Amino acid sequence: MIKYNHYQLANGQTVIHHFDDSTQLCVLNMLYNVGSKHENPDKTGFAHLFEHLMFGGSVNIEEFDTVLQDASGESNAFTSNDITNYYLTLPANNIETGFWLESDRMLSLDFSQESLDIQRNVVIEEFKERYLNQPYGDVWLKILPLAYKIHPYNWPTIGKEISHIENATLEDVKTFFKNFYCPNNAVLVLAGNLDFENCKTLVDKWFAPIPSQKLIKPIYNQEPKQTEARTETVYADVPLDMIVKAYHMPARTDEGYFAADMLTDILGSGKSSRFYTDLVKNKNLFSELDAYISGDVEAGLLMIEGKLSKGVSIEIAENAILNTLEHFKTRGVSDDELTKIKNKSETNIRFNDMTVLNKAMKLAYAWVLGDIELVNTEAESYLKVTKTDIINMANKILVPTNCSTLYYLSKQNDTK
Amino acid sequence: MTLNRKKAPSIVEIKSINIKEAQDNILSNGIKLYTINASNEEVIKVDIVFDAGINVQEYKSQANFTSKMLSEGTSKYSAAELAEKLDYFGAYFQTKNTSEEAIITLYCINKHLKNCLPFIVEILTDSIFPGKDLEILKKNAIQNLKVNEERNSFLVRRAFNQTIFGKESIYGSYSMETDIECISQEQVREFYKNHYQKGIKYILVSGYVNDETIEVINSNFGTKNFKSYNNIAYKYVENKTKPADLYINKSNSVQSAIRIGRRLFNRNHPDFREMQLLNLILGGYFGSRLMKNIREEKGLTYGIYSAIEAYPYDACWYIDTEMNNDLCETGIKEIYKELDRLRKELIGEKELKTAKNYLLGSFLRSIDGPFSLADRFKILKDFDLEYSYFYEFIEIIKNTTAERLKELANLYLKEEDLTSVIVGSKEV
Repeated sequence: MIKYNHYQLANGQTVIHHFDDSTQLCVLNMLYNVGSKHENPDKTGFAHLFEHLMFGGSVNIEEFDTVLQDASGESNAFTSNDITNYYLTLPANNIETGFWLESDRMLSLDFSQESLDIQRNVVIEEFKERYLNQPYGDVWLKILPLAYKIHPYNWPTIGKEISHIENATLEDVKTFFKNFYCPNNAVLVLAGNLDFENCKTLVDKWFAPIPSQKLIKPIYNQEPKQTEARTETVYADVPLDMIVKAYHMPARTDEGYFAADMLTDILGSGKSSRFYTDLVKNKNLFSELDAYISGDVEAGLLMIEGKLSKGVSIEIAENAILNTLEHFKTRGVSDDELTKIKNKSETNIRFNDMTVLNKAMKLAYAWVLGDIELVNTEAESYLKVTKTDIINMANKILVPTNCSTLYYLSKQNDTK
Repeated sequence: MTLNRKKAPSIVEIKSINIKEAQDNILSNGIKLYTINASNEEVIKVDIVFDAGINVQEYKSQANFTSKMLSEGTSKYSAAELAEKLDYFGAYFQTKNTSEEAIITLYCINKHLKNCLPFIVEILTDSIFPGKDLEILKKNAIQNLKVNEERNSFLVRRAFNQTIFGKESIYGSYSMETDIECISQEQVREFYKNHYQKGIKYILVSGYVNDETIEVINSNFGTKNFKSYNNIAYKYVENKTKPADLYINKSNSVQSAIRIGRRLFNRNHPDFREMQLLNLILGGYFGSRLMKNIREEKGLTYGIYSAIEAYPYDACWYIDTEMNNDLCETGIKEIYKELDRLRKELIGEKELKTAKNYLLGSFLRSIDGPFSLADRFKILKDFDLEYSYFYEFIEIIKNTTAERLKELANLYLKEEDLTSVIVGSKEV
């Protein structure tokens, strides 16, 4: 149970406070409700590039990091399809420095061509290091455009291609800031050893004076229902063949979300899962085989991905996955299996809620979903799911016409 | 009154630190149990530590496969049944081995602890290491190794450790495909008998700990089935040969992975804590000189850092980065320039103060929560230190001067003592 207070400032900014005096630290988490899905399809990778620029100094503060480090603090950020999240951890008695830094970069950034040029290079290097120079690094670059034809989830947060980042102009950057970085598009969470009254005073001092902006949220189309099986084959310089299957699944706030999540737990999470016991251990068709969900706010993907054991053909491997799915649909879930995944969810939630940083992020994310109280009802949502819910979900989404399959094959096998 | 946003809020410096220390307990059979009670959530982590690391193995991969095979079945339960039982209670069970130890870890909610521990007892007293499962694990391990060998960051780390520590050292020892192929069921059973069943080094429990927790631990591990054992006979062999620079060509690389460094002393050396500060200033945090110069000013890389890796019998220090093949030369020149500055110029007052404040803050973060506290305690055990080591850390860092850091740079960061290992492609 996470206890919290929340309110809204006149400028539209939401504030959430969570008190925890078991720590000497305080976390300031600022989430902007903007992610890569809000980007122009011809200028992708922007939300993430912008995240980098947020550390380059703001209107009144030249060096963000030096100020924070002087106050014994640390910070980082991440960008997803849906959101951009910034977090600062400081000794609780230095938390005002966090307020100063975070409010100043909401007020205005210190935009410069030089800073943009450098961060563009850094992000291009990141693109190469994480997506191009890694075995299987470009899997998401391939599978997303296959699974989504219209919805902006069809490109990863790093962007569709390097040229989009290369072509970003200072004007683009300024427009992005003006459109999305304003109090009425953000939630601020304070979590840790700071009481509510002090929190309120500091919020009034640093954030209340920042004016709201007119929000211009781009309108994008929803993905139509997929009606045909989609496949793509690529050859790459990797040692093992890989298969990736992506099925459309319900959105985070839809009823079926938890059933789909639990479905992947039964199929492919851990050493007692169906995939591991049957296909990795018993038949050894795969060296690894996992199932998981992408966890997006809007309708996301249920993923099955595995690396094949040497010498196993891709057809045999795929059929084995499909047989396991069919077997699951006809035989159903046992009582023990259901208890098991419910117990796992409870463990995961309890362990996650141990640190103030995790709690802060969870509160902010629940706000994006439209109901902060979701942080406390999550456990119950898992407990409510029945065996029938899970089987119905499997029958509904684990069908060929809802699936995009990527055959990611080894060039080495090909030439042999 | 309007707000002056140019003016920084006042800062309180970290003066002293309170560390929640581990409590010593002894189980009925003499095994040492350390507990750290520091959680509001009813969660628990149990680490059982054995003298069963790489340092006591006779064959390469022997320690590793024994630890991997621990969850593969007992005479009562198959691998799938064991996994099923522990998963049923929502628990996570992990086994790993380091150069000096094997550690098996259970994470669970307190209410399930008593249900989970009997399976751990079973694993530690009656594992059978089925041959069929071993063959599958071996096959999968070889395939994983092949995938890893496609990663420049993996290759550079392996080659650097082999070069610096020597391939015969426990810190430069890596299993290759043939080593994995050669491991047999007998070797694994032998290792289990000689290094797990001889006894437990100690147990460390962290999270929400009360009398009931200790009682459950005692009733499972305080019995005649277990005894206390600590092997002190191991003699470490140092690398006597001077390491040579190495270039590994990997065609198709977009970027090269670079690691430049040397062997260093570990935490038992009086200069270690000051070296941590010097390392931080060079490449140990986002505001470091390497990050500022090479990433933030020149945009040559996504990341560059330096680190000290300290082990009970040895240590190394290195700078690590990945950059475009054609930019490597420029990048390396800048790295040496930064080292030269550390040896020739005094670090400015402001920069030194920022680094000190940051380091103390990161120490404060490193003792936040029961599992972080357990990690800190583990360091003390590994290096045979007392909590005073951490309390003194605060004083030592506060009192270090720019002159002293320059002296350390001249002692320990000399260009002629460094070795560089690069994995990449010269074709651009």
